[in-house]
Amino acid sequence: MSEPVVSVRGLTHRFGDVVALTDLDLDVPAGVTGLVGANGAGKTTLLRVLLGLVHASAGSATVMGYEVSADPIAVRSLVGYMPEGSCIPKDQTAADFVSFAAELAGVPPKDARRRASETLFLVGLEEERFRYLGDFSTGMQQRVKLAQSIVHGPRLVLLDEPAAGLDPAGRAQMLSLIRRLGGFGINVIVSSHVLTDIEDTCDSVVMLAAGRLIRAGALSGRSLAPTISVEVIERGRDLADHLASRGFEVSLAEHTLLVTDPSDDAFDAIRDAAVELSTGILRLGRSAVTLEDEFLASADS
Amino acid sequence: MSDAVIYDRGYRSYEGELAGRSGVRKAIVKDGIRRILGLRRKARRKILPWGLLGIGVLMAGIFIGLQFVAGSISAAIAEGLPSYPQLFDVYSRISLLFLAVTVPELIGPDRSQGVISVYFSRPMSVLDYLGGKLVAYLLMASSIYLIPQFAFHLGRAALSDDGFLSYLGSNLDILWKILAATLAFVLVHGGLLAVISAYVDRTAFAAATFLGILIAGGAIAGTVAEAAFTGARYFSFLAFDGHARYVRDWVFDVDLDQYAPETAGFSPWVSALSIVVIALVGALWVYRRYRRLA
Repeated sequence: MSEPVVSVRGLTHRFGDVVALTDLDLDVPAGVTGLVGANGAGKTTLLRVLLGLVHASAGSATVMGYEVSADPIAVRSLVGYMPEGSCIPKDQTAADFVSFAAELAGVPPKDARRRASETLFLVGLEEERFRYLGDFSTGMQQRVKLAQSIVHGPRLVLLDEPAAGLDPAGRAQMLSLIRRLGGFGINVIVSSHVLTDIEDTCDSVVMLAAGRLIRAGALSGRSLAPTISVEVIERGRDLADHLASRGFEVSLAEHTLLVTDPSDDAFDAIRDAAVELSTGILRLGRSAVTLEDEFLASADS
Repeated sequence: MSDAVIYDRGYRSYEGELAGRSGVRKAIVKDGIRRILGLRRKARRKILPWGLLGIGVLMAGIFIGLQFVAGSISAAIAEGLPSYPQLFDVYSRISLLFLAVTVPELIGPDRSQGVISVYFSRPMSVLDYLGGKLVAYLLMASSIYLIPQFAFHLGRAALSDDGFLSYLGSNLDILWKILAATLAFVLVHGGLLAVISAYVDRTAFAAATFLGILIAGGAIAGTVAEAAFTGARYFSFLAFDGHARYVRDWVFDVDLDQYAPETAGFSPWVSALSIVVIALVGALWVYRRYRRLA
């Protein structure tokens, strides 16, 4: 397994009496990672700790091999950041702003201009790059924010709620851009409280609730693990016992059975069992445990 | 000929040389100068700075023209005309307006528009950021005072009966006087403007607050400093602009007006020290503020 891009040990952060992060232990692998949690879960605080903008009350964080508290400047030279809130100078053109963002990362002025043009082309703003940012729509401003975060060629990009405030089309475009960044070999940590966005975009996920880590791991093969949902008219308990005796893992809630980890002949087995028990099936179909189901279950527990 | 079209250039990581933190500081200075002058901004952002600069240059031209016309009639008339301290007096008022409307642009919009969250995610510290802004301010504010003064100096040298070089050689002392007086104004105005700009988001409000503090401070100092109660004279310290003007008169060895610190019986050294303290307190205050914001 490759080195984690972010490694966190015993990380705690307090704002006065409020504990924002509690004893986090975490390794973020290379690729596109989703950072999910409700509002106030500690996502933005974690990103700011990783940038060295907030000093953790306890514990340590390592980004791309650099200890954040020891060398925040080295960390920031390898990282790009897209804040959640507005960070657009309305009286500058997109090209000037993105170019200046590159210069602030140490890119010489001439290269910075060229990189700004290329990056704005990538995010689909090549025609608008000489327009003033105050005249941009929310979607265009979000794309400029993304452009400034990658213009200097970072190895890791931290995106804080990049799709916030976007309409469905804009949201889809932004998520598509983020997926492409992963394809270009840029490691991405993208925070969001919209779990479907994370499911569609990321390779792995980190879940936070009230500043605590509730889950971290790969997404692949997890949310698509097939489960069969069976809604019966009666004798649900008998059907569950029957299927369990045949080796299926079954859970029952009122008249609905969830048959997980089923074999290829699961549908046939369910049909046969229903015939045998003379019970009617109202609904039979595949279901998947979504990230949202998992998040809610984890948060509840 | 191929009719191929590039729809997507993809993305390449940056492999070139990096300029390091010195490059970052230079970029901040360059951006600061552009902000003050409204360069690479909409046309209406250029009107005030360039308009005031134009008035400043025009005043220098008028002063030189007066010297030329009067000198061609009689050397005695030319001697009686307004000279360096008077030009400085006119300039300090134009510069006051220039700095009031342009300096808040240096740091205010970065904060009010949230752009500092992007800037501080880059490999630079709060000191790099504020240091770059300070250098931009010093360069621009000093230039606004110095360029017309030096233009006037060279104009007088060109009109001198003693010859150009001879005039320059025999009036070297004027250079340090111009520099010292400029420093007094740049420091006291810069210190106040920095603190105001660190809190007030809108440029117009910041400029109004700055001018209001100067006017109100001068009025309070002038009224209370002469009152009969013990310690009343210390209210003269509120005459922020008065300190700079008192130092200027002291440096040029003239007495253009009476200033509150002078009336309260303080020596020009006390005003010079007050200016340094105002500048240092302003710088530290802004640094603490931005340490919290970063």
